[in-house]
Amino acid sequence: MAATTMAEAVKMAGGMVGAGLALGGGAIGAAVGDGLAGSQTIAGVARQPEAQGRLFTIMFLTVGLVEAMYFINLAFAALFIFSLAK
Amino acid sequence: MIGFLPLGGAQLVAANISVGVHPQAKTFIGTLDLDTVWGTGAAVAIVAIMAFALRAKAKGSSDGVGGGVPSKFQLVWEMGLDAVRGQVQGNTDATARMTPLVPIAVSLFVFILVANWFSVLGLGATYEWLAPPTSDINLPLAMALVVIIPVHIASIAKRGPIAYVKHYITQPFPIFLFPVNVFMNVVDEVAKPITLALRLFGNLMSGGLMLALIAALAVWNISHVPIGDVSTVLFDPVWKLFDLLIGAIQAFIFALLAILYFQRATNVEAGH
Repeated sequence: MAATTMAEAVKMAGGMVGAGLALGGGAIGAAVGDGLAGSQTIAGVARQPEAQGRLFTIMFLTVGLVEAMYFINLAFAALFIFSLAK
Repeated sequence: MIGFLPLGGAQLVAANISVGVHPQAKTFIGTLDLDTVWGTGAAVAIVAIMAFALRAKAKGSSDGVGGGVPSKFQLVWEMGLDAVRGQVQGNTDATARMTPLVPIAVSLFVFILVANWFSVLGLGATYEWLAPPTSDINLPLAMALVVIIPVHIASIAKRGPIAYVKHYITQPFPIFLFPVNVFMNVVDEVAKPITLALRLFGNLMSGGLMLALIAALAVWNISHVPIGDVSTVLFDPVWKLFDLLIGAIQAFIFALLAILYFQRATNVEAGH
């Protein structure tokens, strides 16, 4: 794991920083997106409680789409760490 | 090779975690990822066996295939199919030519669901017994192509070749901005299969990565208290339950997006 040359050290540091940036930004985006979807669902249920079942389906669909972006980021972060920064 | 979390004197290492490592075989058609081939084959076999079993036990339909009382599972299944049919035909003008979409979408959903749920068998090892084949980028990319290429074929068949080319030039802006239109449409069309594949792949791959990280917790001891073992045993089922949910949602989204792409490509009035 130890980087012996300067080039290896730069490559490793770049991979680590890139993975951190990808994960951090992805987490911020996914959290904001999930929060928006959840808050609007709560507002919808409060306004119209009988629509809860339908709203939950759509909310889980939206959450799945929103979180997918984060998981794509996670995949790329894993690529950076485990493949490039090795 | 990463070492981290130096807790309680013991170094918690995740040194043996590797991502995207597959047992490979070089054949005359190229390099095959053997675990993906094996996992795909297993998923196909399970789906096919379930389908034939359900077909053999299916009872009482209007076209005269036997009589009798249908089982509960058959009722639930037919209700699901009707829901998909309503989704497919409700959003467009209910033409009969949309119906091939229903079996395509349902097959995609069931196959991806079975393949995703293989992640429950994961140990967090580099080589699993039965890794979910969708956690290898090659299978999602192939499935995305299987969806996108028929989308374009259907679009050409519905509009005709001239209108097909024309709608990439004249949308979304007026015709005098056609370079911008072509650029935006090409980016859109190229991004579709890539995001479709990466969405599924990223979710499943990170599921396996989390299993490996949870398994790596097991070496963590505080003096002689095996706190890592306990947390592995605790977190592993929790994560796998969550992974079941993720797998189901992603399979649903893949099938739903396939339907939506088909509808957008064959919907003449809305343009796209």
